[in-house]
Amino acid sequence: MRNFLVARLLQAGLVATVVGALCFVLMRVLPGDAAMRIAAGRYGPDARIAEAAEKMRLELGLDRPLTAQFLEWIGDVLRLDLGHSLVTGSPVVHELKVQLGASMWLAASALALSLLVGPVIGLFSGLKPGGAIDRLALAGAVIFRAIPPFVLGLILMLVFSKQLGWLPPAGFGSPREMLLPALTLALGLAAMSSRITRNSVAAVAKAPYFAFARYKGLPEAVVVGRHGLRNAAIPVVSYLGLQAVYLVEGVVVVESLFAYPGIGHALVHAVVERDIPMVQGTALVMGLMFVVIAAIVDLLTHWLDPRVRRMA
Amino acid sequence: MNIQANPDLSIAALSIDSPEGRIVSDISLALGRGRPVTLLGESGSGKSLVAQAIMGNLPPGLHATGRVVFKGTDLLTETPAQRRRRWGRSICLLPQEPWLALDPTMRVLPQVAEIHRFVKEKDAARSNALAKENLAGVSLAHAGALYPFQMSGGMGQRAAIAMAHAADSELLIADEPTKGLDTVLRDSVTARLKREVEAGRLLLTITHDVAVARALGGMIGVMLDGRMVEHAPAEKLLEAPEHAYTKALLAAEPAKWEPQASAASGEVVLAGRGLAKRYDRRSLFSDLDISVAAGEIVSIFGPSGCGKTTLGSILLGLSPPDAGVVERRAGMSPLRFQKLYQDPPAAFAPHQTIRKGLTDLVRLHAKEWTAVERLLDRLRLPETLLDRLPSQVSGGELQRFALLRALLLDPAFLFADEATSRLDPVSQKEVITFLQEIVRETGPAVLFVTHDRDIAENISARAINLDNKGPLETAH
Amino acid sequence: MSSIGDLSFARPKGRLPAGRMFGAGLLVLLGCFAIIGPMLIPADPAAQDFSASLAPIGGDFLLGADHYGRSLLARLAHGARLSFGLAFLTMLAAALPGVLLGLAAAWRGGWTERFLELSATIVLALPGLMLVLLLLAFAPGNYAPLFLGLSLTLWVEFYRVTKATTKSVLAQPHIEAARMLGFGSCYILVNYILPVIAPMIATLSAFAMATAIIAVSTLSAISVGLQPPTPELGSMIVELLPYYAEAPVHVLLPAMLIVLLVLGLQLLAQGDHG
Repeated sequence: MRNFLVARLLQAGLVATVVGALCFVLMRVLPGDAAMRIAAGRYGPDARIAEAAEKMRLELGLDRPLTAQFLEWIGDVLRLDLGHSLVTGSPVVHELKVQLGASMWLAASALALSLLVGPVIGLFSGLKPGGAIDRLALAGAVIFRAIPPFVLGLILMLVFSKQLGWLPPAGFGSPREMLLPALTLALGLAAMSSRITRNSVAAVAKAPYFAFARYKGLPEAVVVGRHGLRNAAIPVVSYLGLQAVYLVEGVVVVESLFAYPGIGHALVHAVVERDIPMVQGTALVMGLMFVVIAAIVDLLTHWLDPRVRRMA
Repeated sequence: MNIQANPDLSIAALSIDSPEGRIVSDISLALGRGRPVTLLGESGSGKSLVAQAIMGNLPPGLHATGRVVFKGTDLLTETPAQRRRRWGRSICLLPQEPWLALDPTMRVLPQVAEIHRFVKEKDAARSNALAKENLAGVSLAHAGALYPFQMSGGMGQRAAIAMAHAADSELLIADEPTKGLDTVLRDSVTARLKREVEAGRLLLTITHDVAVARALGGMIGVMLDGRMVEHAPAEKLLEAPEHAYTKALLAAEPAKWEPQASAASGEVVLAGRGLAKRYDRRSLFSDLDISVAAGEIVSIFGPSGCGKTTLGSILLGLSPPDAGVVERRAGMSPLRFQKLYQDPPAAFAPHQTIRKGLTDLVRLHAKEWTAVERLLDRLRLPETLLDRLPSQVSGGELQRFALLRALLLDPAFLFADEATSRLDPVSQKEVITFLQEIVRETGPAVLFVTHDRDIAENISARAINLDNKGPLETAH
Repeated sequence: MSSIGDLSFARPKGRLPAGRMFGAGLLVLLGCFAIIGPMLIPADPAAQDFSASLAPIGGDFLLGADHYGRSLLARLAHGARLSFGLAFLTMLAAALPGVLLGLAAAWRGGWTERFLELSATIVLALPGLMLVLLLLAFAPGNYAPLFLGLSLTLWVEFYRVTKATTKSVLAQPHIEAARMLGFGSCYILVNYILPVIAPMIATLSAFAMATAIIAVSTLSAISVGLQPPTPELGSMIVELLPYYAEAPVHVLLPAMLIVLLVLGLQLLAQGDHG
């Protein structure tokens, strides 16, 4: 168990280093003097900018050797001192706080929605592999997986807000506005988890221990409850770790599409505007979000599967 | 046929049909108290299907006809729900390979206790106490908190017996209860089954192992291709078999072989001195001296996990010893040191036809294809098998191809690593006989690893027991 | 980038499954459209004709025209070629090093493997799309960071699968047997390793291309990938979106083309194994 957490902490460190290093390089290869751009970002492009830039140069330590600058940069990142946005001039951390909340809500509701749909469909497909439900669910899963999230989001937007006018196409604040982006992500997630659940249920139903539980004379409810559910849940839960990738990537895409003021939207904006402190901050937070989801999945798997416990 | 006047389970004219046709036909037998029945036969002989027809868990698509009368009721006329109600109550199954039949994510004690709790409907505390007694009864009192993956095959089998005991049904069906166990564990399982018989339970055992049938006594039915070719009391059938297949089966039993030890006919080919190896912080062997001379078969035997295979790998130079030296006779090509593997299909590339493998080998070493033809003839391998994939020929045939492949290189030393343990008894005898003949004809040195003491003693002048560290149980 | 994580290499025995056949057929059709289309269709995908703005389907323009009056048929054909081509190159740039490094890691083990494992772990620390986004910050709207970023994230899957499979094959007794019979590493690689990994690499390649197509169109749609007027399918959708009320089918055409491309690749990769 400790091994998992150490591995995830290392991963978090790696995320910080990768993001930090890329942004450090980015800061230095972009045309124009970094100090000048930051000063302009903070104080506005007016006459006294050269003076401000000089102050900034000293503040940033741009006169020191590159390695020292890099180490200090990484040190700042690790201390979560993320600097100020070049566009708005306000501290990156402040902006992130609001956006992170919005994104968490979106990701959590998407995940919850997908878990309501995917595993349930998977369960019924897996109980009768090759049956009508299974084939229908398979066709659905194949099609939904072939639709990129942004196309799916567009289709939902066109159908539910433009054609039917049931839901707002964009914005933030009420559950109604969150429904479309969350549904977009949830459908993609459910398409994947339904198949994993189906395979896992079918495998458990065929497993010798499941048959043996019946031969022992246990009532069907006990057989399923004690020997079926936990075993079938293990692959589904560990697959959630892979879905974390889809979820985090999906958040970026769907937030941009629905103009949802979350961290993914902010990241894309920062990339377009080359607001490096914001790029660094948002990428860092999203990367850490990914690590946290993976760590939660680790913990769940660990709790469900004694074999993992021993290997750890 | 010696059928009791009032048997508790009698089967009459039982046949099992699949959509493609009849796969088991006309089985009749009877079980009484103190008179167990053992069905003996190879995989595919239909013996497990008979057990499933009695239990009521035939695979979908299969259909049983005839009569299976258990205490006055014909089970085949019952509905699936009625039959399922008998499971764990009046009929109980001892599964094959119980380490697969135990729930991998649940500790052993609750897996036993749930029988008391949900089948016998006792309260939770009482169920746990009873389950502890059941486990103690098979010397697993200490193992209740273990998960199946933490137990050895023997422990798993004992846990399954504890569950059968907990169910306390009248009829116990044991389906290949010794599959995958070595001889020591096999004998302890048979002894426990015997105790169940003495306690008054009806026992039907399915096995491929003559030794199990002998130990259990009672009646033996020999199955071949879905028919019962012979059915008689154990003493009679084992002493004076009538059917040709039964005779072959009994003659193939290693204990019955005529000892034919090959003794050294030349000088020492390979020797190890002061060899030691540790694995997992445990000493497999230390200060071991071994030498094999041309023309002799030296056996190593011991239970699984004792380091037999490791010793062979060290001698072949495939893995280094922790201490000691291996010496080969000077001036010999390394190609003349060859190995036969335990699992023949694993020793061949799965998607390469046997012909392609042999052609490439012949070309690589600039040999003649006629050499292959000569050996095919010698090992009685039909040429039609050459164009098949390794998975499409039987284990015995494939092991002979492995022998052929090695013989092409004129081996001076052959390491046979449990080379016959996965084969059925008749093929096992066949392969070993060929090996003995080859040794006599061309005189390679053979180191034969086996877990079967009888084989070791029958085929070699010298047998090394690697079991001096006490029996070990390794997890599966 | 998440779609290639969950491969099941279980192949049904016997006949080629219907799903695979359908996927292959679909890809052949789309491939023809992408390769031959731009040559056969005389219209220039960038030629504007404001009088034909949002021309309906079936009139002067077979598939209508967009808001600038550009032929949608020509733009779709060029878009398909761009998606296919970029995805194919990305796949090659990921598969070649991935497979070779995977073989090297499995064969050599030791420090080679440890170093490569570390590199893979670093790449996988972030979700793939985010890494591409970060690289795109260097030069938004350019091919190079898009191509590099995608290859950089996709090689890992090729590397891991190749390494794991090769390692497990190398550990099998038949390899030891072949060595004892005198066969060399080259023979073992060609006859024993490649036949096992080839179908997996083929499956991974199709998935990698699907992933690349999704990523390129997605990034272009959120305006950090390729920029208009490049006939990129994702940005075409977004460009046409404001005119949805007047020409709904125009918006859906590029979207359908993307879905069909991805569907074809995914079906080819694993048939109807969900």
